[in-house]
Amino acid sequence: MKRSLLVATAAAAVLTAGAVQADEIRIGVLYPIAGTGAVYGEPAMHGHNMAVDELNAAGGILGKKIVSFARDTKLKPAAASAAAKELITKDDVNVLVGGLSSAVGLAISEVARQEGVVYVATIPKTIKLTTEKRHDHVFRTASHTDFEGDAMGQIVAKLGLKKICDIQLDYAYGHDLAAGIEKGLKRHAPDAEKVLDLRVKLGATDYNAFISQIMGAGCDGVTSGLWGSHFVNFAQQGSPFGLFNQIKYISGGEIASHEIAGKMKGDYPDNVWSNTYELWYHHHDPSHVAFQEALAERSGTKETAMWPVLAYIGVKFIAAAAEKAGSMDADALAAALKGMSISTPVGPRTIDPETHQADTGQFWGPMVKKEGVDYRVMDPVTFIPAVIAE
Amino acid sequence: MTGPMTRPVLAACAVVLVLLALVPVLESNYLIDLFNEIMIYALFALSLNVIIGYSGNVSFGHAAYFAIGGYTMAILLTTYQWPLLPAFAASVAFSFVASGVVAYFCTRLTDIYFAMLTLAFSMLVWGVAFKWRSMTGGDDGFVGVDVPAFIAERVPFYYFSLVVIAIAVAVLWVICHSAFGRALLAVRENPVRAGFVGINTRLMRWWAFVVAGTFAGIAGSLFAMVHRGMYTESAFWPESATVLIMTLLGGMYSFFGPAIGAASLFLLERLTNEYTEYWPLVLGTILLVILMFLPEGLAGLAKAVRRQILRVR
Repeated sequence: MKRSLLVATAAAAVLTAGAVQADEIRIGVLYPIAGTGAVYGEPAMHGHNMAVDELNAAGGILGKKIVSFARDTKLKPAAASAAAKELITKDDVNVLVGGLSSAVGLAISEVARQEGVVYVATIPKTIKLTTEKRHDHVFRTASHTDFEGDAMGQIVAKLGLKKICDIQLDYAYGHDLAAGIEKGLKRHAPDAEKVLDLRVKLGATDYNAFISQIMGAGCDGVTSGLWGSHFVNFAQQGSPFGLFNQIKYISGGEIASHEIAGKMKGDYPDNVWSNTYELWYHHHDPSHVAFQEALAERSGTKETAMWPVLAYIGVKFIAAAAEKAGSMDADALAAALKGMSISTPVGPRTIDPETHQADTGQFWGPMVKKEGVDYRVMDPVTFIPAVIAE
Repeated sequence: MTGPMTRPVLAACAVVLVLLALVPVLESNYLIDLFNEIMIYALFALSLNVIIGYSGNVSFGHAAYFAIGGYTMAILLTTYQWPLLPAFAASVAFSFVASGVVAYFCTRLTDIYFAMLTLAFSMLVWGVAFKWRSMTGGDDGFVGVDVPAFIAERVPFYYFSLVVIAIAVAVLWVICHSAFGRALLAVRENPVRAGFVGINTRLMRWWAFVVAGTFAGIAGSLFAMVHRGMYTESAFWPESATVLIMTLLGGMYSFFGPAIGAASLFLLERLTNEYTEYWPLVLGTILLVILMFLPEGLAGLAKAVRRQILRVR
């Protein structure tokens, strides 16, 4: 025991040596890069690295080179917390960026609070991050469940739906989104009545019981946050019963993103309205053309994913704030981020000085068939800004 | 098992304690955090070994008591704003009671049935932590534990943690080397014979389970404070598997073996994570090597090497 501890001390001491270089800007990056989360984390890293490379090519931040230190969060909050701490204490990072899943976002944010380091949450959507768990050093550039719920309320009103079934995953995001939809319906479609509340286990693969319940309830609209493979399974099992001919399916689970449409191809059902942060084929902002081309080259495919832009925007906010603050000091950086506006490939973004939440709107629309391609595309694309009209 | 506290063992313990106490002198926040977590996992693994190494049963659900201790501490300190000592005492007491209740059922069974039941109870605990959102924060985790101001800083907390763990390990040592510990070994080696000589084997196994659960609870409550949060994954079965592997790696037939296993596995995981994301592959290989070549873990290996050297001389 004695010997192993001695060895450990020596090893750790060697590993910590050589840290602290004042002539570079150190960014701690936290995405799930292995395992189930890698489908999201890997594209996110593309976006992150792209922003860093662009900034470095233009002289870095405050004239210093940017160096990223990436750690795998494994989609687990305790692992993310340990990784975030290590990035701060061992790698001396000036700022933390990233996070995927609500729990991971909250855990990283707690480390940022303790250690007094700025954390920019690029993907976690839990409302708590910018409400009850907000602190001086946390900022969010992703959307959140109240914005999504509000947009879904608007779509329900637009389509004139009257009886709504809600089906959500039974974990934090699902509960938060259900609450957001409730508020959105009250605001925009007060006539719509919620007739059914369904909760599906995270990771579920069998949806038959839920499908028959929805079809039996006689609703004309289904609101949902089933994301990724959850939606893929749900749609494949619901289609043979004609579920999607009977209802309009409105989802906040970003199933309009090309990674889902491109994966499902002909299996993608009719009557789906959903959202996405970015579409490779839709140039809302002129700068998107160049962004998408560069991303396509980096990811090795013309039809790029939605996640990179989120990571990209996070880095750009940090760079802009550092330039404005003139330093990487956490308090100065936080002060600069409050109320900061930047232009991004998906339009301008501003961080609210009070809530620390960026006005991250999303693209919403129906997913339709298109001549010449075997996957569905969103048409027409509507940008719903992140504004909740009280 | 190791015999009574011999002079070399005592000296080694003193040296380790002094070295650990000197860690903050290096003025590296990273090393302070690292050693704090290693100590916590060492205590966690040592506690599990009371069930495995001493009473001869394999628990697949030891994380439950770690989580119970952690959540109790987090909730009492933060939600109810209890002072440190009552909160700590309550979390230890609650781990004691919870493991006592579970042990009542589990010790009716042995072998695989025992292991499966411990797993079932730990999944129940996980289920409660996951579903009781208003109290535990559900899968968002219980974030933002209020650690009392006098140990809120890194170095004071490290010393607090060191003192608590040193006392806990000492108490565990005394328990394992008392008449009770020896009786447990008898139960492990031959329960039938132990029963015939008048040992209440079920009661002995019950106590072993409760001691293990209580000390895991202490480790858990320190974990909640060092991370300023408690998460459902700490109650989930892979956590139980991790601590089981730590115990096996270190060597379950030695009192200090599991602590060495915990330190080695923890450091290895941290270092591996810096270079590659394929930690599970490394973990699997380690497990394979232990099972195939090192049934008595690192402690057994050390003993064998020493024996070889003595023989050569």
